[in-house]
Amino acid sequence: MAPPVRYCIPGERLCNLEEGSPGSGTYTRHGYIFSSLAGCLIKSSENGALPVISVMRETESQLLPDVGAIVTCKVSSINSRFAKVHILYVGSTPLKNSFRGTIRKEDVRATEKDKISLGDAQSNYLLTTAENELGVVVAHSESGVQMVPISWCEMQCPKTHTKEFRKVARVQPEFLQT
Amino acid sequence: MPGNNRRIRGPEESQPPQLYTTDEDEVPAARDPTRLRPVYARAGLLSQAKGSAYLEAGGTKVLCAVSGPRQVEGGERGGGPAGAGGETPAALRGRLLCDFRRAPFSGRRRRAPPGGSEERELALALQEALEPAVRLGRYPRAQLEVSALLLEDGGSALAAALTAAAIALADAGIEMYDLVVGCGLSRAPGPEPTWLLDPTLLEEERAAAGLTVALMPVLNQVAGLLGSGEGGPTESWAEAVRLGLEGCQRLYPVLQQCLVRAARRRGAATPP
Repeated sequence: MAPPVRYCIPGERLCNLEEGSPGSGTYTRHGYIFSSLAGCLIKSSENGALPVISVMRETESQLLPDVGAIVTCKVSSINSRFAKVHILYVGSTPLKNSFRGTIRKEDVRATEKDKISLGDAQSNYLLTTAENELGVVVAHSESGVQMVPISWCEMQCPKTHTKEFRKVARVQPEFLQT
Repeated sequence: MPGNNRRIRGPEESQPPQLYTTDEDEVPAARDPTRLRPVYARAGLLSQAKGSAYLEAGGTKVLCAVSGPRQVEGGERGGGPAGAGGETPAALRGRLLCDFRRAPFSGRRRRAPPGGSEERELALALQEALEPAVRLGRYPRAQLEVSALLLEDGGSALAAALTAAAIALADAGIEMYDLVVGCGLSRAPGPEPTWLLDPTLLEEERAAAGLTVALMPVLNQVAGLLGSGEGGPTESWAEAVRLGLEGCQRLYPVLQQCLVRAARRRGAATPP
């Protein structure tokens, strides 16, 4: 028998800061933890530290890309200085409304991932592919055929055998789906 | 047939003469000034909207729907200074877009859909009251759209719309600091100012002054205040605000139950 679920509403005072630490869907004020979503209360009891108190909704659909998140996007236009992309997936969950992002030319590199700000004066998310697992996943050659990666910076078209430069991603096996 | 230009043509449409008479003999019945009409609230009734709420208080029926967060293409906004404590700067916070509409059949006479300045003023009041309650810092560069539709005006329409909008936002899973409860008041013309809580349409029409208060019950902070009418002594307005805040606190348990019931319904529909 599942234990009875406790539902809470935004603004409901959950507990003291001494009895738990705030998780997602909560905020703290005056030494108390308040709920900020209308959903079920989840207490994850840790071994040594305080239990983490968070409020979960069944459909976690309003994900916004956050700093440090891995996203899957589709290139919509290319310039000599940057490429504009549509952000489609954050992690493994698809987004309902796609967001726009920019990949600057200097951010396409092999190593040295630095902090990408959410954009100071621009309205686009800035992205970088500066890690081994990040980069191009699917590409089509000029003849329209899907290309095969040869090395970390080249992809070859199986039909015309022309090689093109792309920064290829080494996708971790657990993310690959057949 | 020869034309009848000797006859005076009557108007194209005719309306019953009762529309033009003022109902002077209809006096609102005397009642307890602090009575609140029974409220029916239901969240999560529209399947297409992200969050929705329906509120009925006496004759007032309001339907509210929330959609978003959607990305705003606002490139012209310059970077504002970052707030203290590392909050998102002003230009990166989300926006709340409110829209208040009266259905054409909401009053005694049919109103054409573009409602004009009154609806814009009420929409602005909605936005001002809801903004302190929503954690807009968690939705950078996103836009939340709240649209309230008044199906029938039975008095204190803005208060009902505020409450319904807050329930709809909570139902949509938007992070909020607290719910917002709205309450309307009105004062009949006369020498002794007695403020009536939750006026009906008749009391509102005959009122000399009206007030709508919005309260965040747990934080005990006033989220919005909109009043108009004949000026009276300041103490009477202060007394009215106090009465309104009390009314809001009394309404809060109804909203709690409504949201918990909606969450339970959602949990039962999609088994984890």
